[in-house]
Amino acid sequence: MTVAGPRTPTLLEVEEVGLAGDPGGGPPTSTGRILGKLARDKAALLCLVFLLIVVLMAVFAPLITKLSGWGPDEFDSGAINSDLGGVPHGSLGGISGEHWFGVEPQNGRDLFARIVYGARVSITIALSATVLTGILGVVFGLLAGFYRGWVDQAISRVMDFLMAFPALIFMIAILSSLPAGNRPVLLVVVISAFGWPYLARVIRGQTMTLANREFVEAARASGAKNVALVFREILPNLRGSIIVMTTLSVPGYIGTEAGLSFLGVGVTPPTASWGQMISSSVSWYSVDPMFFAIPGTFLFLTVLSLTVLGDKIRSVIDAGEAT
Amino acid sequence: MLAGLVLSGTLVLSACSGNAAGGESQTSAGPGGPAAQGGTVQVLANAAFSHLDPVRGFDGGVNNFYRLIYRTLTTQGAAPGTEGTKIGPDLATDTGTPSDGGKTWTFTLKDGLFFETGAPITSADVKFGVSRAWDPEIGIGSPYAKQLIDAPASYQGPYKSGDLPTIATPDAKTIVFHLKKPFADFGSVVAQNTFVPVPKGAGAGTELDSKPIASGPYKVSEYKAGASLKLVRNDKWDAKTDPVRKAKPDGFQWTFDLDGATIDERMIAGQGTDVDAIAGTIQAATVARVQTPQLKQRTLTGLGGCTTYMGLNTTKKPLNDVRVRQAINFAVNKQTVRDAVGGSTLAELATSIQPPTVLGRVDYDPYPSPEGKGDVAAAQKLLTEAGLTNGFTFTLDTRAQPKMQAMAVAIQQALKPLKIDVKINIIDTSTYYEVIGTPSQQHDAAITGWCPDWPSGATFLPPLFDGRNIVAKGNSNLAQLNDPAVNAKIDEISQIKDVNAANAAYGELDKQIMALAPVVPLLYEKVLTLVGSNIAGAYLHDGYSGGIDLVSVGLTDAGK
Amino acid sequence: MTRYVIGRLGGVVVILLAVCLFTYLIFFKLSPDPAVMICGKTCTPDRIDSIRDVLGLNQPLLTQFWEFLRGIVAGRDYGTVHCSAPCLGYSFQTNESVWNMLTTRLPVSITVAVGAAVLWLLAGVAGGLISAIKQGTWWDRSAMALALTGVSVPNYVLALVLQYVLVVKLQVLPFPAAPAFADNPVLWFESYLMPWTVLAVGYACLYARLTRANVIDTLAENFLRTARAKGLSRPLILRRHALRPALTPITTIFGMDFAGLLGGALITETVFGLNGIGKLAADSIAKNDQPVIMAVTLLAAFFVVVGNVVVDLVYTALDPRVRVTSS
Repeated sequence: MTVAGPRTPTLLEVEEVGLAGDPGGGPPTSTGRILGKLARDKAALLCLVFLLIVVLMAVFAPLITKLSGWGPDEFDSGAINSDLGGVPHGSLGGISGEHWFGVEPQNGRDLFARIVYGARVSITIALSATVLTGILGVVFGLLAGFYRGWVDQAISRVMDFLMAFPALIFMIAILSSLPAGNRPVLLVVVISAFGWPYLARVIRGQTMTLANREFVEAARASGAKNVALVFREILPNLRGSIIVMTTLSVPGYIGTEAGLSFLGVGVTPPTASWGQMISSSVSWYSVDPMFFAIPGTFLFLTVLSLTVLGDKIRSVIDAGEAT
Repeated sequence: MLAGLVLSGTLVLSACSGNAAGGESQTSAGPGGPAAQGGTVQVLANAAFSHLDPVRGFDGGVNNFYRLIYRTLTTQGAAPGTEGTKIGPDLATDTGTPSDGGKTWTFTLKDGLFFETGAPITSADVKFGVSRAWDPEIGIGSPYAKQLIDAPASYQGPYKSGDLPTIATPDAKTIVFHLKKPFADFGSVVAQNTFVPVPKGAGAGTELDSKPIASGPYKVSEYKAGASLKLVRNDKWDAKTDPVRKAKPDGFQWTFDLDGATIDERMIAGQGTDVDAIAGTIQAATVARVQTPQLKQRTLTGLGGCTTYMGLNTTKKPLNDVRVRQAINFAVNKQTVRDAVGGSTLAELATSIQPPTVLGRVDYDPYPSPEGKGDVAAAQKLLTEAGLTNGFTFTLDTRAQPKMQAMAVAIQQALKPLKIDVKINIIDTSTYYEVIGTPSQQHDAAITGWCPDWPSGATFLPPLFDGRNIVAKGNSNLAQLNDPAVNAKIDEISQIKDVNAANAAYGELDKQIMALAPVVPLLYEKVLTLVGSNIAGAYLHDGYSGGIDLVSVGLTDAGK
Repeated sequence: MTRYVIGRLGGVVVILLAVCLFTYLIFFKLSPDPAVMICGKTCTPDRIDSIRDVLGLNQPLLTQFWEFLRGIVAGRDYGTVHCSAPCLGYSFQTNESVWNMLTTRLPVSITVAVGAAVLWLLAGVAGGLISAIKQGTWWDRSAMALALTGVSVPNYVLALVLQYVLVVKLQVLPFPAAPAFADNPVLWFESYLMPWTVLAVGYACLYARLTRANVIDTLAENFLRTARAKGLSRPLILRRHALRPALTPITTIFGMDFAGLLGGALITETVFGLNGIGKLAADSIAKNDQPVIMAVTLLAAFFVVVGNVVVDLVYTALDPRVRVTSS
């Protein structure tokens, strides 16, 4: 039966991402085969290229802004009209040879530089959260599925509890009351704390099925220790699900970080992040639409590329397992 | 008083207020034209009133609103500019008669005064209302009654301690106050909200916060906390007893909790009942949209009467060095700070501590730079003298609010060339003033503001810079400046009997303090408000943080 | 069955208590002192102490938590302020009982949630169904591509785009003002149209993908092959046999999503300035108004947990396969 697959570990309202399927515990699909398939798919290739550009932007941000001439925090009072509330001079939000993507109203900061540096924040936070939720989800899922009994009971109740929680409200509430400290780290921790149960639930279910399979029984009968069982027999068989679940969760985390910054509890000023930029652009949308269009487009394309890619990877893995 | 937290400015005298709709447009239609009798004025508001209980509420917004439903012994005028801040009689027949060298003050009530209930307003009701200010749970508003009027140390308001013996009511029309020490301007003090009459025995707990007992021209007919408030005529109010309140419309309708953007959109569109609407200052992003002649005709602008500044904690290294503080004063680019709040239409660059609306204020610039953009060279020179060529790091406290954060970022950016690394510390809005007002918790610097409650520097400079006022909690001397010369000067000025001479002396003291650079004056923020096309009789009142004077506003065509 | 229901309801109470305690503990540690906020500008340490006393803030944490729980059932007094049952606390920043704040804003959130739900169910299920029937055609491919795009647009970005295009540029819609339905039904509808759409798009796309996958799976199942072998027509099979099992999982998800939204569509309400529970949450968080944050969290959790139970019960009633195993 096709029950609604596990939801991606994300906040419904902030960002809704496609569902992972119901990957069974078939033989693992090789990474080479996945990449090979993706390379032949035009849409997937396009997404990969775009993501590559974003990642390169993030990595080489200081070099790129040296070329473009403006740092992310540099003010340019000459680019804005103080008498009109600080709206950028010129059309299209002040796009010019000087400022490639125009400038931010009220201070004249260069939008191109802020997009480039914002990519750093978005990607670092999303990837760190993915890694952390991945580890938490796999470890707790395995523990619950393998040991069952009270371990399973305890872990499952915690998962129920976390999933019943109005995560978005709670994340904002926690983030707004915590001292500023190291915001990115806090964001990763908070996002992961509410994200891991979605992966853990799938891992738990599959571990339970796998633990009863003949090959595990056989290994156990031949005297393999629990640790060895988990790492040699079960974990490799979960690879497909882990890859699918985690790739599908990355766009969710990008959206969540942007959403939290949008709601004003993300990175602290003057740090640029796409969500923070969109947030500042809200009151300006009718006067300076480019101010939201530019970060909005980058955010949208990044999430879209990751979603399409995740979807393709899933179908490749599903197809691999079906055969 | 702290700007933003509480905006009172009850008695701000103002010499400078550029009302777009001044006297010359009285005859034509538009916001300055004459208001017709009748209709309902709509008010679109961001936040609800802090309190409807007059002893609790104390900021520019409620003070303005209270005049519609409450009366006090005296009150401010109802006109643009300095006329508006002149004190005149309200419930009382005059502005009071001093005796005993200004230590005892006697007021006589007019005839024909009634509460909305129909009960006559007596001197006992005024006394009862004032005595509520001593209740520790209720008296959280204007502190002046408690500070000036003599009372037993243990007195805790009428509900807990009963009658206050130091206020005498020899008959139903006469009330006599005995002060702790002579106070020449007590006639202005009794215009404070705390002097609103409350029927004897009523108003315990939060009763008045939900159901005020009106003495003014309007009464509350429906109040949904946090959502809406409806005022209708109080037919027990007699216009003949009240020369101040024009009270032309038949009612007022507040809608609270509206988004700033929503309000601006609705005011620009001006559809339906919004033609009869007034609102607060527009957002920075809206400035560019109100430049058409049609919309310009509907705008009112003027100074808010406060100073926004950055306090520098003189007890912290290296800010304890006056050269470092002066360097920061030179280096801050006030243009970018102003752009952060919305540019030249929403603020003027500040140079002195006292804003232009304070009498006796001297216009001077101790740390000049071209167009206020900062003089990095002058700053660098001072820092080199102080041995800080390689800069330093300091923490700047700011509120978790986009505008305040933007100002902090502008300052951070301006100090970068001096290798001064500003760490921005964002503090939650609800506890901001609590944190920076606690010397053990405040950091090196903080962005805040101050508005005068009094017609002179007396309510501006001593609270902020008297070194003997530094307290462990609720401290307003953020710089923690304790300079013997400044303290001595403050004492000297308080002895001056002539108000104008005292004001002039405060203007000089402003200069003396700025030589020590304990603060960086940043901006004098302005009010820029858009009113509906059917609004008439509207002007900005200098005594209410530049809000539209509610007792005079009305509609051009009441039948619309 | 009755015992099952009672058991589930017991579970609801336990989870809610846990959420409650967890929220309480966390905010007790993180929040600024409410006494300081009540105390106002002319505050003295003595007054703070007496306020703390009145509010019971000097009592041990668990006693305070117990008082909070008791207040929900019996009401409670904060000094001179009375908060009648069900008392979820009292906001000293707005001088209002939290229960009042929630009940005045709930209708807006319900309007937003119901309107959006109708939209996304109609669009999502219909789109998915057509795609499944026309599997592999250009319609299917473009619909699914569109669905992927739709789930990738952050709803605040969509909200800004719609506002810019429809309100500022084309001027076909008014700026959302959310008047009462009775005052002006047309303006009411026009005002909610954008929030509904913005909220519905993500879900609609998701439901379309889900419906399509489920219908295709169901069509491939054995009992349908049997039905086809018996010579039943395709539309009849679809209507009579395939739709119900294919759509049952949708019911589950829908219940959860809808319940989640009743607790406030935080971003949508904030962007459009609609005074629902979501905006209340955002505003209270910005002001650090702890009793309100606490109550909103609890309300949202309540809807999710109860929604869970309702969904399970409905699911049992709908899906014959589950019914067999559970009875």
